[in-house]
Amino acid sequence: MSNASHQNPALLDVTEVSKAFGSVEVLRSVSLQVTRGEVVTVIGPSGSGKTTLLRCVNFLESYDSGSIRIDGKEVGYRETGTRQRRSERDLAAMRAETGMVFQSFNLFPHLTAAGNIMLGLRKVRGKSNAEARTIAEHWLGRVGLAHKADSLPAELSGGQQQRVGIARAVAMEPKILLLDEITSALDPELVGEVLEVVRSLAEDGMTMLMVTHEMAFARDASSRIVFMADGGVSAVGPPAEILAAGFDNERLRSFLARFRASHF
Amino acid sequence: MLSQIIYALPFLAEGFAVTLWVSLLVVVLSLIAGVLMGVGLVYGPAPLRWAVRIFSDTIRGIPILVLIFFVYYGLPAVGLHLESFWAAVLALTLFKTAQVVEYLRGAVGSIPKGQSEAAMAIGLTFRQRLAYVIFPQAFRRFLPPWINGVTDAVKGSALVSLLGITDLMQAINQVIGRTYEAMPLYILGALVYFAVNYALSLASRRLERRFSFIRE
Repeated sequence: MSNASHQNPALLDVTEVSKAFGSVEVLRSVSLQVTRGEVVTVIGPSGSGKTTLLRCVNFLESYDSGSIRIDGKEVGYRETGTRQRRSERDLAAMRAETGMVFQSFNLFPHLTAAGNIMLGLRKVRGKSNAEARTIAEHWLGRVGLAHKADSLPAELSGGQQQRVGIARAVAMEPKILLLDEITSALDPELVGEVLEVVRSLAEDGMTMLMVTHEMAFARDASSRIVFMADGGVSAVGPPAEILAAGFDNERLRSFLARFRASHF
Repeated sequence: MLSQIIYALPFLAEGFAVTLWVSLLVVVLSLIAGVLMGVGLVYGPAPLRWAVRIFSDTIRGIPILVLIFFVYYGLPAVGLHLESFWAAVLALTLFKTAQVVEYLRGAVGSIPKGQSEAAMAIGLTFRQRLAYVIFPQAFRRFLPPWINGVTDAVKGSALVSLLGITDLMQAINQVIGRTYEAMPLYILGALVYFAVNYALSLASRRLERRFSFIRE
């Protein structure tokens, strides 16, 4: 396994990334690698920096030090020695390589389901209207919403909106998909349909980094789980190991204990 | 009496044309300047934000009449001589621009942050985000106060008569000077201003309904 990852260097390489909001350190020297085809789940108490880490990967947040590389290319800063923010055009091009799905869906309310997916295809990927439409319909079919192509977001349920959100992200053929608590804003009965889509993408080999509170899903779908606490990576390992009751990490055990107490 | 007014109609129509021309110039120029400055106020670096903020607060704190006289009588002191027509247009445009800045700030500010982030996440550049995601949604919020502002601009254009420009207002005053028929002529003037503004607000309501599909 370690041998294989040598031959296949990390697709996402986060090295000693730190970030502070004023005097609050939200990320403390976080390092994390994700190889192609891997599904890595980040868990941890709120305020532990999970979402901030995810948002740094596509530079929705800047980071103060350390480096984040996707396919060997530094995400937010120029590789010139001096730490200089990339140009707007460069940043946009980098972001197009990472898909992101948001907790609150963030669909464009003035565009139809298909229109949401087509916007990036047309304006960023330079596809024609017809090509973009074909791709949009393909992905809407994949998430079970072929019949909703011309519906506006306001006409869709939360679960349907989030599935469009996923389709919008993956239609761009990103190298890695970032999922930020994508089921947290959903009614419980709608969570399953969204997770089903994520599971099928994982089976197709989509590389994913996700933050979730769905422990059962994390256990079933992840290759590895990262436990974050106080802005740092506190434990990393395969799900069976991390979620086992006897894992040797006091904070993780108390997090899981509290989590189980509140969910069962 | 009526014959005198009818005799004056072509003259009044010329004045009306000047009123429309001034209003159109002010509305178009202030829209362009106000949107650019408004974008600077919302998204620009700190020095730009401060500059726009100071401009907007200052201009909005000055009576429009003072602004008109300042531009026409004050600016020559610093070497800027403008014809009365262009001095009036400049003063009204400055005034209107400050308002457009605030309408834009309000409309863009009402769009949730997640919209910009989602647009960033699919790789849209700043201009593309504004053009395809933010402005289409902000448009509905921007429209009602802006149309209101357009009607204000049409009414406010009457102030250019104070610099001796023969707009509708000035034309009416001159005809009254000849005929001493104040009441019918002022009523005629009021009706013309009203007709223009009523047509504008009808158009505005139409447009608002067309964009009502966008969620609140």
